[in-house]
Amino acid sequence: MNPELPAEAVELADAAARAFAALGDVDLARRAEVDPSIRATEVAPVLDRLGVADLDPRDDDVTLAAAAALCEAAGRVALPYPLAAALVRDPDGRPTAAVPAGAARVDHAELFPEWRVGPLDGSAAGVASSTGAALHTRLGPFVGDLTPAAGDGTAAPYDLLVQQCLVAWTVLGALDRAVALATGHVTGRVQFGRPLAEFQAVQFQLADAAVAVAGLRELAGFTLWRLRAEPTGARADVLALRLHALEAARAVLRSAQQLHGAAGVCDEYDVSVITRMVQPALRLPMGAERTATELARAIASDGFAGLFPHGADLRATGEPGR
Amino acid sequence: MDFDLGAGAAELRTRLRTLIEQHFDPGFLGAFTDDPADLEATQAFCRLLAGEGLLTLAWPTEYGGGGGSLWDQTVVREEMWAHHEPRGAQYMGLNWVGPAIMAHGTAEQKALHLPPIAAGEVIWCQGFSEPEAGSDLAALRTRAEPVGDPARPDGWRVTGQKIWTSYAGMAQWCIIAARVGAGERHEGITMFLVPMDAPGIEVRPIRSMLGPHHLNEVFFDEVPAGPDAVLGAVGGGWSVIRTALAHERVGIARYARCERLLSEMGRVLAPHWDELPPSLEVAWARALVQVRVARLLAYRTVRAQENGEVPDVAASSARIAVTQCDQAVAEVLFSAAEHRSLEAGPDAPVHGALEDHWRYAQAATVSSGTIEVQRIIVAKSLVKGASA
Ligand SMILES: Cc1cc2nc3c(=O)[nH]c(=O)nc-3n(C[C@H](O)[C@H](O)[C@H](O)COP(=O)(O)OP(=O)(O)OC[C@H]3O[C@@H](n4cnc5c(N)ncnc54)[C@H](O)[C@@H]3O)c2cc1C
Repeated sequence: MNPELPAEAVELADAAARAFAALGDVDLARRAEVDPSIRATEVAPVLDRLGVADLDPRDDDVTLAAAAALCEAAGRVALPYPLAAALVRDPDGRPTAAVPAGAARVDHAELFPEWRVGPLDGSAAGVASSTGAALHTRLGPFVGDLTPAAGDGTAAPYDLLVQQCLVAWTVLGALDRAVALATGHVTGRVQFGRPLAEFQAVQFQLADAAVAVAGLRELAGFTLWRLRAEPTGARADVLALRLHALEAARAVLRSAQQLHGAAGVCDEYDVSVITRMVQPALRLPMGAERTATELARAIASDGFAGLFPHGADLRATGEPGR
Repeated sequence: MDFDLGAGAAELRTRLRTLIEQHFDPGFLGAFTDDPADLEATQAFCRLLAGEGLLTLAWPTEYGGGGGSLWDQTVVREEMWAHHEPRGAQYMGLNWVGPAIMAHGTAEQKALHLPPIAAGEVIWCQGFSEPEAGSDLAALRTRAEPVGDPARPDGWRVTGQKIWTSYAGMAQWCIIAARVGAGERHEGITMFLVPMDAPGIEVRPIRSMLGPHHLNEVFFDEVPAGPDAVLGAVGGGWSVIRTALAHERVGIARYARCERLLSEMGRVLAPHWDELPPSLEVAWARALVQVRVARLLAYRTVRAQENGEVPDVAASSARIAVTQCDQAVAEVLFSAAEHRSLEAGPDAPVHGALEDHWRYAQAATVSSGTIEVQRIIVAKSLVKGASA
């Protein structure tokens, strides 16, 4: 038993954190909202220097962990780039992304000419090209649609699971940062003659948020291990991670915004920008309710790893039903 | 027991809905959008409501109001909020600046301010919060210095900074809290009625997820105010704030918009209801229960007011339930809109109302007193009750 990320992954994440800080940290997302072209001119070159082009999370335990740690670093600054998808490339260099059933919508769609996409239920995967337009909304500034294109590029179910696992790591980074920002804010902000951090009601909110992030981190690590140990049986694990990431995000971002008071909805404060920029990851390819339903089905058909059998494994082992 | 608000209320509700339907297209999302026509539409609607005798329905007849009951007021509150507040920025003047002037104003102040509010012609903003004074409002630092003899001043110079001031960029008047003298905490706090075009006032919009037209910083640099600008007694501002807020105890009827959006989105989903993930159906049902409970807690507050009680605890309980309901429903609606949830504008699901609601809901547990402050009020009363 060893729940730690390998040293190589930690080193890469540290280097990425320094590089993203040099680009302006969360300001990078603010700038990209005004000028989306900096994703290609500023972010992509930095990712190149970090070796993203040579990193394939499907190679081995270490590359998978390194990709995860990199995505976490990206989430911490709301990096305006579809890093998880770009890490899971097909042989022709197309990014891979899970999409909603019946609608090929992804974050940063127009950043790549072609994508390899498919829904998580394994149906109708293929190559798609960007329609060129983004939503330009406050909660999904870079979200865009794809249309089917010619070309051979069936997205393997495993690749979609890896991409979704990496998206969850990105969310983890965003939540961890949000807790740090809230902690910093209440430590500096004085009301009623003392720092807000001295009020126990404030401390409890921070504690609950920190526990939620800690739990998500463990589950995210466990899921990396499952993807390596059970490549064909990890669907329920990835859906479980996604569900937990979405539910943790709701609670943690809420508290982090709340602890900022009115500043929590304000563009000048990083917590507000992170909350907006992480929305596409929380809504695409599906939100919490559909993820929960898919997970329940996956457990029923594939079981769920634990100390005792569940779902399909109950039938397989002939346990009497009740 | 009878939870029906009565035939009069039902009639009023229908009348309001008809008027709103006639004057706003279904894509109207309030006054604070990127389209200036939306603000204009709300201004015109206020004048129309005034003409129909509906704008000041709840005001006492002596001030030209309709003398309506608290339940009439509740219906107005619900229908307006459910339909994205077609009174736009004017509800603040109607709901509490007007009543505060009735309670504390001089005859001249009443004559100057009440008729334009009643006619739907003026937008008021509220300058309470400051950078260092949020939850702790009594820490406010904006100062009012007397001009001439401090015992009988010829007027005042107001200097300081306000923040989070809603609609300051649209308002003609501001009610501001400033400190007179060297007192601390509640001492010396005084309310001033100041025109927003007075020299020395600068408004800077604050960019937020609510959009660029809602929140503002307002800077006061030696802004002149006449002796007649003081509302209530010099140094008596805290009690003006308290009684003024008594008129706003019930708070915004957020539950009404939640229920309307669940209904509107339900209409969109109805043909495909069977394809929804079962967990969403369950979440939807739970949301409807939460909305109902929030409404009933708000009604309990109105009932207490009707009985002449000061319903602090009931009001805080209602606010906690109502604002949490707002955020929970926003999530359920986003889950229902699935991959289209992040779309905005008229072509988005329910004309963009879901996206708009989600963004505004994030501030619900902060605006007009945070949910934590409400919890403190409820908890204190419990503890006091137990030790009594
Ligand atoms: C949409 C919106 C519109 C607004 N419009 C206006 C307006 O028109 N005019 C105006 O004057 N103001 C307005 N406000 C400001 C509002 O009144 C303040 O935001 C609010 O009082 C909280 O103050 P703050 O933002 O400084 O948060 P802070 O007071 O800094 O609080 C930060 C966090 O700490 C918590 N906290 C504070 N003290 C305690 C404690 N003792 N125990 C536990 N937790 C605590 C708070 O609940 C909050 O979660 C508006 C705010 C919003 C969001």
